[in-house]
Amino acid sequence: MIELQERTRRISPSRLHEILQRNGCASMVDPFMGLPTHLNYLKRHGIAVHGGDLLEWFVRVGEGIVANDLTILRDSEVGEIVEMLPGRIYSLDTFKAWEGVFFSEEQCVYLSVWHDNVRNLRSDGQTGLAILGLWRTFCYWLQKTQNPDDMPDVAPSELAWSYIRETEAWVVANMRHNTIRQTDVLTTVEAQRADALFLAPPARNSFRSADARIWMWEAWWQGNPYFTIEHAYRDSLFGARAADPPAYARALASVLSAADAYPLVIVQTTEQRLADIEGIVANARPNVEVLAPHPYEIYLIAKK
Amino acid sequence: MTLFQDTGGDPRAQQRLLADLLALYGAVGDAARGCRPQTSGRVAATAVSLAGVAGIAPDLTDALYFAGLLHAVGAIGNRAHRAGETLPERIARMEDWDVPAQGARIAETIAELPPATADLIRWQAERWDGTGYPDQLRWHGIPRAAVVLALASAFVACDDPEESLGFVTDGAGRAYSPEMARTFTMWFHTVGGEVAAVAPPLDALAPVLADAHATLLDRIADRIDAHLGVDGRWQRVARLSEGAAAILDLAPVERNALAIAARIYGAGEVTSTPAVVERSEAAFDPLARLGIDDRAAHALAAAAMLDGIAALAPVAAIVGARAEWFDGSGKPHGLRQKAIPRAAAVLAAAIAYTGLDHKDRIDGAAGTQFDPAVVRAILETAKVRA
Repeated sequence: MIELQERTRRISPSRLHEILQRNGCASMVDPFMGLPTHLNYLKRHGIAVHGGDLLEWFVRVGEGIVANDLTILRDSEVGEIVEMLPGRIYSLDTFKAWEGVFFSEEQCVYLSVWHDNVRNLRSDGQTGLAILGLWRTFCYWLQKTQNPDDMPDVAPSELAWSYIRETEAWVVANMRHNTIRQTDVLTTVEAQRADALFLAPPARNSFRSADARIWMWEAWWQGNPYFTIEHAYRDSLFGARAADPPAYARALASVLSAADAYPLVIVQTTEQRLADIEGIVANARPNVEVLAPHPYEIYLIAKK
Repeated sequence: MTLFQDTGGDPRAQQRLLADLLALYGAVGDAARGCRPQTSGRVAATAVSLAGVAGIAPDLTDALYFAGLLHAVGAIGNRAHRAGETLPERIARMEDWDVPAQGARIAETIAELPPATADLIRWQAERWDGTGYPDQLRWHGIPRAAVVLALASAFVACDDPEESLGFVTDGAGRAYSPEMARTFTMWFHTVGGEVAAVAPPLDALAPVLADAHATLLDRIADRIDAHLGVDGRWQRVARLSEGAAAILDLAPVERNALAIAARIYGAGEVTSTPAVVERSEAAFDPLARLGIDDRAAHALAAAAMLDGIAALAPVAAIVGARAEWFDGSGKPHGLRQKAIPRAAAVLAAAIAYTGLDHKDRIDGAAGTQFDPAVVRAILETAKVRA
């Protein structure tokens, strides 16, 4: 059985928004965005947001809920995503490798159908919304493998329908230019100028122990059940080259150095990693304020 | 002036008074969000009861009580709930997503609350699968205590306790973690769907500063006025009624209660329960009989919010009688002349005076709607202030 990790990164966008407001920031860049629901929150509250990540499905979701201002999915379009369409030829074996290991035969067929249907959508916005909605269905299935008797059985298409519908409700415009890019950290930091840079740097070697719900969905989007997340991180700043502590510190310092033009840098970390990270941030910026509402949600607010 | 009776420096009495004011804040929040009366108290009691079964630490359980009490205060002044706002459904839903975060910001300003309270309010509507709000946290990123609060709210929101069991079980893996849904089922069968009221954990409150009660009450009044779109109204009413009460030589106890009533009478207008007509009093001439049903309903609703709040019991009689007329033709009880509490008569005249475009018109209502002596006192106060 697959192990679902208990520790997940927590970003509280409402608190982040409060920090940005206190410091008079109207725009923000997040080069390690991950699932960009926090950028959607900030966008909804009028902040111009720019995100980047290496995993393509995060970027696609960002195109759906961050860069997209008005594209939504009509009922008929959601129906065309969640069900097998008559007349279309599907490669139903794409995810057969997962059958019996993680999922049932029916689920693997649906994963293949959804993969093909999403790839045929008309716009980036719709694609992003569909990917996020379907991901939640996928997570539900994985959770159900852990708690088969505690969770209700819901028909795959019905579950996917309801999740895509919920996702669609988040689309909003903020009359600002918001961007998402699939690049490594430094490129995102240098490509955009904003009032604040938000960094929630991954822990050292975290790509080696990534959550199954994250890497498996990248594998789904790539249409390759054997895909591993290490492919995406190969040759990246926080990839294998930052495996040892000095290399990791150098990588983080290089990001802070590249962020010199940003008036404000907010680094989110945990109590466990605070000692390592605080020194690096303090080296780059003279004024560092620590806001620590929780041991696993600590913000280093660094000004020039 | 001091609003509340001197507690003689007794820290326990000060904490009790603060807890009473928090209960009032919670009641106004319930009204703003369209919850049934007494919801906040029930959510608080249910959360404490659930926390025992869920193995929540005692300090967090105390915070849960206050978070339950204040669970809906973010709705006061929120655009999705504010009086007179007509937003498209999609925008209204997004504004409503901000209620927990706004509630957290309010809790953060109350320094006496246990430190965890604000974040429990902030994350009370998060869902296990990440589709909650405001932060869209997911899985174990949501603190268990916040899930307890969410479960308590779900339990209280259901008409039938049995219904809540089905609701939570169906939400396992989506709204709640399977483990917490199991915990809820265990709790439900342990208590049998019955939750007794619990006393506020006063020891969990930090020492209360001397002016904390008055400051909190003023903040509540400010938010009520902001919700109703009548910023600064309570201050005008309070100034007038305070001056008139001095001229009429009301007893200090009555004057204190009047000062509190001037701050919170607007809470009755916040309510949106079906039994009460949800209409702004500003839509009607304060001297006309038209609109008296609304005024009486708002008066009763405000008095009902004070029900069970010991420190504010004398205030309930004042706000509840503000729609009575001197000649006995008022509502809801048709009280006349001396039967109307003097402070209520002053409050009613002060409210009407502040709502008039041509202030002199109040003179014409002396002897019918208002006590002539009260009208004279109001006019005199207004003249002095002008």
